[in-house]
Amino acid sequence: MLTRGTLIYIAQRLALIAFTLVAVSFLVFITVHSLPGSAFESERVHGKALQLLLHEYGLDRPVLVQYWSFLTNAIRGNLGVSFQIRGLPITPLVMRELSVSAELGGTALLITIGLGTTFGVLAALRQNTWVDYTLTSIAVVGYSVPSFVLAGLGVLIFSYWLPTVTNGVISYPAIWTGSYGTLVELSLPAIILGFYTSGQVTRITRAAMLEVLQQDYIRTARAKGLKSRVVTVRHALRNALIPVISILGPLVISIITGSVIIETIFGIPGLGKEFVESITAADYNITVAVFTVYALLIGIANLIVDLLYTVVDPRIRY
Amino acid sequence: MTDSILEVRNLSTHFFTDDGEVKAVRGVSFSVAPGETLGIVGESGCGKSVTAMSVLGLVQRPGKVVGGEIMFKGSDLLKLSKEELRNIRGRDIAMIFQDPLSSLNPVLRVGFQIDEAMYAHDKIPKDQVETRGVDLLKQVRVSDAARRIKDFPHQFSGGMRQRAMIAMGLSNKPDLLIADEPTTALDVTVQAQILELLRDLNEQTGAAIILITHNLGVVAGLCKRVLVMYAGEIVEQGTVEQIFERPQHPYTWSLLRSVPRIDANRGHRLLSIEGLPPDLIDLPQGCKFNPRCPFRVERCFTESPLLEQVAPEQRAACWVTMERAYAEMGAGSITDTSPGAASGIHPTGRARPAVEVPVAMAEPVSD
Repeated sequence: MLTRGTLIYIAQRLALIAFTLVAVSFLVFITVHSLPGSAFESERVHGKALQLLLHEYGLDRPVLVQYWSFLTNAIRGNLGVSFQIRGLPITPLVMRELSVSAELGGTALLITIGLGTTFGVLAALRQNTWVDYTLTSIAVVGYSVPSFVLAGLGVLIFSYWLPTVTNGVISYPAIWTGSYGTLVELSLPAIILGFYTSGQVTRITRAAMLEVLQQDYIRTARAKGLKSRVVTVRHALRNALIPVISILGPLVISIITGSVIIETIFGIPGLGKEFVESITAADYNITVAVFTVYALLIGIANLIVDLLYTVVDPRIRY
Repeated sequence: MTDSILEVRNLSTHFFTDDGEVKAVRGVSFSVAPGETLGIVGESGCGKSVTAMSVLGLVQRPGKVVGGEIMFKGSDLLKLSKEELRNIRGRDIAMIFQDPLSSLNPVLRVGFQIDEAMYAHDKIPKDQVETRGVDLLKQVRVSDAARRIKDFPHQFSGGMRQRAMIAMGLSNKPDLLIADEPTTALDVTVQAQILELLRDLNEQTGAAIILITHNLGVVAGLCKRVLVMYAGEIVEQGTVEQIFERPQHPYTWSLLRSVPRIDANRGHRLLSIEGLPPDLIDLPQGCKFNPRCPFRVERCFTESPLLEQVAPEQRAACWVTMERAYAEMGAGSITDTSPGAASGIHPTGRARPAVEVPVAMAEPVSD
């Protein structure tokens, strides 16, 4: 499986990801430092005191020098300190929040793949029946209703109209200390986060299955006398998954960007919520750090997707 | 023939499309004796493949077998349950297809695809499957079989893929192998190799073969008996010698006249069959070949001819038959193959007018 060519390919891609990280962090760094205002504005410090504060954080140096020191520190795993909560190291903060977001995003991705492919296959096998129409309709709702509408609706239904069903616990508690959410805390935001992407996967899987089921090799498989379940899963689904994998990269990005909204609405202490709060508070070090982590996640997700191709389709080799 | 392994009686398969009912196969009857090689010929869309797919129960919606019996080893395949039919498919009756690239699953190893045909049925003991897989690939003359069996289809050449398909078909030692255009997508040299392979396998394994093709040369090379199909019906059947030397149906005759021959006299004109096969939704009255037949007579427009004995073992469905066409219509020296050219019968049943284009067609009536 891991041939020399594949290893070289992975090395190249990792180098490309590293380059992307530098480029993304540079752009974001320059952009946020060009914005008017600072994290200390709300504290009403002026004159000498502000100068001292800026000097303490190295903010009185030229931007490029600041970026260079950020970069050299970041390579060693130090993403700097927060302005808002003075001196709080960002790396452990971001790592903890990443684990929360990864749990949410991972669950949403599992729902996306599990539900999306199941719905897609069922809709294709029962084409033009009520099963197909129902599942396709759910998928259309999934990829046409914005997640913040669904999230708002979810909050309304489960915490306002039906508080007894959930005892009012629809997501993470207000003051949350642990690093992972329980299934109860996780389920509603994860379903809403994965709803859009599930709809997309349903649509692609259905279309791909319908096309694959017309292929000659499906006829061959049936002519061999294979059971219809074997024909569907082993022969049809494996081929239908190839286009599904190709949209997995964009879908992972959807989940990451969607998590910013969902975490904010449900108050989940993850990377997305931190992202929004750091911008509001002009805590730029955190903004740059979160942005860079997002770029890393997307880069790695796309690499994994491209490697998945070789697992599903033997004609693709790197 | 009572000792036939497959006997198809009055088979009709229609496709229920939005445009209407496509009557792809209508009242087809034939039988296959054990170890026999039967060819089914006809141009594209004449129902050859649909006939074969009907036998295996592989006709997909909107297609449906609407009538007839398919007797195989004493039971009617059309009356079996899905599971019983599945167990016959690939086990007792195997089928190989036209395009060996698209007929193999691109994401599964060739060996796996051969082996799973055996695992799907209990005929071959499980512990012998893998060695038999390699043996089969050797038997169909794929060199370096033990290594190549681990390849994916895209690593095989076209001929090797068809060999792998044949290996798959033979894996469960079927009594009948249906080969649907097995050589169409291949080079001429590879075609010859595949035909030779099929011939040898027929002799070695004793499996009967139904060969479906539009290539008369392929039939001549492999088959002992031939069915000629046109527009969903059998129009002629006989031994390969009878069909090639004394065809009795004008369609068979025209087909043979349209094949280029290396031993033909110089100046021998290659004749084409004018017109197109009929619309299977809206079939012509009478004989289905009448709109294209140079020898048609008035009766052809009103009554459908049935298959009649014209010689021992040879049957043809024609009111004229070539014997009469030669004797009365000068079929031996014909150069004009347009409809009714030899018999002088115009589509309306009148003699051909001097002016070719009817006025009604040149100037459409505006109402």
